[in-house]
Amino acid sequence: MKILVCIKQVPDMESKFKIDDAGTWYSKADLAWRMNEYDEYAVEQAVQVKEQLKEGDITVLCIGSDKVKETMKKALAMGCDRGAHVSDEDSSLKEPLQIAGVIAEYARDKGFDLIFTGMQSQDRGSGQVGLLVAEMLGLPGVSTVVDFSIEGGVIAAKRELEGGMKACVSLKVPAVITCQLGLNTPRYPTLPNIMKAKKKELISTPIAELLKVDARQGTEKMYFPEKKGGGLVLEGETPELVEQLVKILKEKTSVLS
Amino acid sequence: MKLLLVAESREGKLLNSSYELVAFARELGADTAMFLVGAEGDLPAYDGTLYLADSGTAGEYNPSCHKSLILEVVEKENPDMVVFCHSSYGWDLAPRIAYSLNAAQVSEVVEVQDGQLVVPACNAKLRRKVKTSTVKTVVTLQAGAFGLTEEPAGTPSVEKINQDSSDGIEFTGYEQAESGGVDLGKATIIVSAGRGIGKPENVSIVADLAAALGGEYGASRPVVDAEWVEHNRQVGTTGQTVAPKLYIACGISGAIQHLAGMKKSEFIVAINTDKDAPIGEVADVLVVADLKQLVPALTEKIKSL
Amino acid sequence: MEFTREIYWNVGHGASTLIPMYLLTIVALALLVKGIWQRVQVYRTGLPLVRNDQVATRLLRVVDNVLLQKKVVQVAWPGMLHGLFFWGFGLLFIGTVLIVIQADFTDLLFDVKFLTGTFYKLFSIVLDIAGLLCILMLGGLLVRRYFFPPEGLETKSDDAVMHGMLLAILITGFIIEGARMAVTELGTPLAPWSPVGLVVAKAVSPIGENGLLALHKVTWWVHLLLVMVFFYLIPATKFRHILTTSANYFFSDLGPKGKLVNLDLEDEDKETFGASSLKELTWKDIFDGDACTQCKRCQDRCPAYNTDKPLSPMKLVREITRIAHDDPEGNMIELCDKDAIWSCTTCRACQEICPAAIEHVGKIIELRRSMVLMEGEFPGEEVMTAMEATEVNGNPLGMGYAERGDWAEDLGIKTLAQDSEVDVLYFVGCYGSFDKRNIKVAKSFVKLCQAAGVKVGILGKEEKCCGEPMRKMGNEYLYQTLAMENIEMIKAYDVAKIVTSCPHCYNTLNKDYRDLGLETEVVTYTVFLKELIDSGRLRISGGELSCTYHDSCYLGRHNDIYDPPRELLKLAGAAISEMDKNRAEGFCCSAGGGRILAEEKLGERINVKRVNMAVETGAEVLVSNCPFCLTMFEDGVKGAEAEDKLQPRDIAEILAERLG
Repeated sequence: MKILVCIKQVPDMESKFKIDDAGTWYSKADLAWRMNEYDEYAVEQAVQVKEQLKEGDITVLCIGSDKVKETMKKALAMGCDRGAHVSDEDSSLKEPLQIAGVIAEYARDKGFDLIFTGMQSQDRGSGQVGLLVAEMLGLPGVSTVVDFSIEGGVIAAKRELEGGMKACVSLKVPAVITCQLGLNTPRYPTLPNIMKAKKKELISTPIAELLKVDARQGTEKMYFPEKKGGGLVLEGETPELVEQLVKILKEKTSVLS
Repeated sequence: MKLLLVAESREGKLLNSSYELVAFARELGADTAMFLVGAEGDLPAYDGTLYLADSGTAGEYNPSCHKSLILEVVEKENPDMVVFCHSSYGWDLAPRIAYSLNAAQVSEVVEVQDGQLVVPACNAKLRRKVKTSTVKTVVTLQAGAFGLTEEPAGTPSVEKINQDSSDGIEFTGYEQAESGGVDLGKATIIVSAGRGIGKPENVSIVADLAAALGGEYGASRPVVDAEWVEHNRQVGTTGQTVAPKLYIACGISGAIQHLAGMKKSEFIVAINTDKDAPIGEVADVLVVADLKQLVPALTEKIKSL
Repeated sequence: MEFTREIYWNVGHGASTLIPMYLLTIVALALLVKGIWQRVQVYRTGLPLVRNDQVATRLLRVVDNVLLQKKVVQVAWPGMLHGLFFWGFGLLFIGTVLIVIQADFTDLLFDVKFLTGTFYKLFSIVLDIAGLLCILMLGGLLVRRYFFPPEGLETKSDDAVMHGMLLAILITGFIIEGARMAVTELGTPLAPWSPVGLVVAKAVSPIGENGLLALHKVTWWVHLLLVMVFFYLIPATKFRHILTTSANYFFSDLGPKGKLVNLDLEDEDKETFGASSLKELTWKDIFDGDACTQCKRCQDRCPAYNTDKPLSPMKLVREITRIAHDDPEGNMIELCDKDAIWSCTTCRACQEICPAAIEHVGKIIELRRSMVLMEGEFPGEEVMTAMEATEVNGNPLGMGYAERGDWAEDLGIKTLAQDSEVDVLYFVGCYGSFDKRNIKVAKSFVKLCQAAGVKVGILGKEEKCCGEPMRKMGNEYLYQTLAMENIEMIKAYDVAKIVTSCPHCYNTLNKDYRDLGLETEVVTYTVFLKELIDSGRLRISGGELSCTYHDSCYLGRHNDIYDPPRELLKLAGAAISEMDKNRAEGFCCSAGGGRILAEEKLGERINVKRVNMAVETGAEVLVSNCPFCLTMFEDGVKGAEAEDKLQPRDIAEILAERLG
């Protein structure tokens, strides 16, 4: 079984974000970086499939500057076999279609049976890449998977719907799966595996060799939303407080509509 | 400008979120047509053309079939924008449509500013104004971002379409959420009890508000440790890390372990007698009051809405 | 008359006595050596560990703790019983050796007798009283064990054998003496020099001379046989502690206290880390269980055991040794029980009190290392989350690393990156940097330094967690990664002195970081502030304060810093009402050993128990010196419903309010 896992390095969401000089993305200074949470589920699932089938080869692909190799090493330590680094200093300027194009270009002709990726990235959050890769490669794609099993090349997966409901689907490999919170608990890499990961193949390819799609959209401006309540302090008698609070909830949130 | 609105149904029942598409179109002042894979028995209150495919034939989850149907309608209507909810249905279909139409896709639109679409980034910490360069655009709308101010009304002129195809993904049925197990991580509204509730009997005050809001109730560590609330409802780094749309902290002073577990919530209301409690630092609104009086009053008010 | 006695009186000094006697002795000693040898073979299955360096220091420990019984008598009541028995039995042993020397060597070969005259009188009375003392002490211990057993004391067949054997040896000894005296000494001026013997003699004399001679002879041989069986039983029963516990003082860890063994993570040949099976532990880890006397002093003081968690340090240590002997291929982690292994707070109460120099904590860490490094396993998901948060942001709280120095923004202190010309580097730690409650402590400390004219610098966003909780949880890899980064940063700025306000940081920087190359002097804030006051640079004015003082495990037991903080409090005008468990007996707050990262799911809450102890003193303020303790007590006063009665504070806050 040949498996491709596509991961992204994202800033830790606890970081204090600032807008960059161009005003179109967050500044990369003073950020802590990590693997996109949903991609961790993708890596874990790929490794579990390999462990279950007792055979397989997992390639982890990541697009970005040399810094993303740190995140790729974690995926290798978790159990991926080789790394495909697509080197790109400006990956934040690439729109999902281009990212998907690069992945599809890489994966075409390599005969992957399964392609796993996160359902979305924590920073851009478009949720498009996995499904676009499926379309580009002409493979069936299932998104937001919270349960996955495979037996004899047949996948049984559950998609997460709203309100705690799940849709069960069945399909054959090759396929693209995008992973959602709840699919699994990503493992903590063991020390021997961290050591082994340092020696695993990790080949960089310039993005120019794989980027054949033009952007269809761009970011005009990135900015901080107004802080909704602005740290409002309400004091007074209960009935007035209730009135005020309900008014604020109606204005500032969608939960009472 | 013309919009094709892709409505949603589940198990033959129209989903209310479909009206958010209508609200969005109104905000843009655009003409619309609607598409629905659903049942004839439950049609949207909508004045306009509704392309209706029967979910009995097309299936409730059959991406390739639904894609072909939508493309067929796009051919007929030639819309400038195809609009979905940013839901499990919409985010699954939208990229497929965008790819086939050579269109840019803008995901999870929260507002329209000067005719441009705005989406969140980095867990809603940032906003991004998007510019597209394609003739057509595919859009998904954040749940709750657009809403009709009045009751939806109208009768659609139904045009039935149908197809029966598949690309190998077979939908085998729904699975209901298991009862009992609470997954706060997925709740959109959480009302949490802190030690300020005073005694175990007061957990119900908080649980009632959560129920009235259609959310779940949670608790801080001291309350769970005291066994007033079961462990799977604990919010915080040692319990669950949550990020609901609305988080109401009742009588929680805001120990760091708790704050780290809930401060990503989109809107935070804190109800506390201590104006200087650390919870105030992350709260959008701090209500200085005794929760034992305020929360039941708030619950009554919400029930009456 | 000459004050002496005939050795071998009545039993004879010919070949018919000496040959069987020495044959028996040789057989018994051979069995003793064989028994020891068999156990030594098991110790040798452990990994090597050097514990025979610094011989003088080691011998001094043996003198202190074996001959002087210093540790044993720390627990006064059973300790004194054991101590007096030991000294008494020691005298009897010396007496017996003197007899053997005279009878079978000096007298036999050179016709020299030294057990005569005044020396003999002293010899006689000392041994007589020693024997009585032994019987009384043994009786006391027997009554304690069998009639009023303290909670947690386990009694097994070994204990019955030991009590019975020792009593039999002592009593037969007195019968031999009494029978001999009844025939030879009654009415002589020598008799009162054996007062116990005299009593026995009077009691047995009615049976007549022939009866007495027979009684004496039979009892003599029985006594000899008992002693020989006693030799044989040493390796086979808890008697072995006579040898193993004594030897363990020689082999004990010479410190620094609480410094863990550094794992070589770069060793390419190493395939396993930590210990999940016997072959991954050292010989000393196996030996320790044989040195254990099951006195359960460790268990009595263990915060986990005392709050109904599955850990008993005593049982864990003994289980490891049991596995070594009975089940060497067994899965150590399963057999020792994972929950027990995770329950340890590394508070060191067990090790500090242990009268057998056993090292409990290191073993637990080795087991944890195996679980974390080899299996990626933690006591709960929250711990894994904290580990991952630390990997990303350098702190277990998951706060953005760039904000680490924000707390100090308006204090007028700079980061070393801005200005590295400072008197001291304040290594703030994660809680002092990010936790709102502990930021108050950090600010108080800076205020005190500034009042004393000390120029303080911090690392700000360049500081990372010292790695202590991760290391104690078994994550050696993450610890070393963090440590190397911190050390590199500290070295780059070339500071003269580092001050910490977190005892965990202090112990780690001052001891553990030494293995990784940190050479800078490290002091803890209480000692540092005390020095500032002593040198007149810092003035504190006294004010009313009714408080109790909690010794954090890492300032107290790990570093023996008990007095400077108390002196600071007294200078601040405090009246300290001590809790029952204070100083070296202090009760952990629950957060050590990386437990600060974990949820306390089992048993009673340790912090609530400790807060209740503080409440009992009637003090209004619970003063501590550690961010983990403070965090736990803030939580604990809520759990103990003592928010109105007791206010947890850090010592720096108290002092900062009383700047004179």
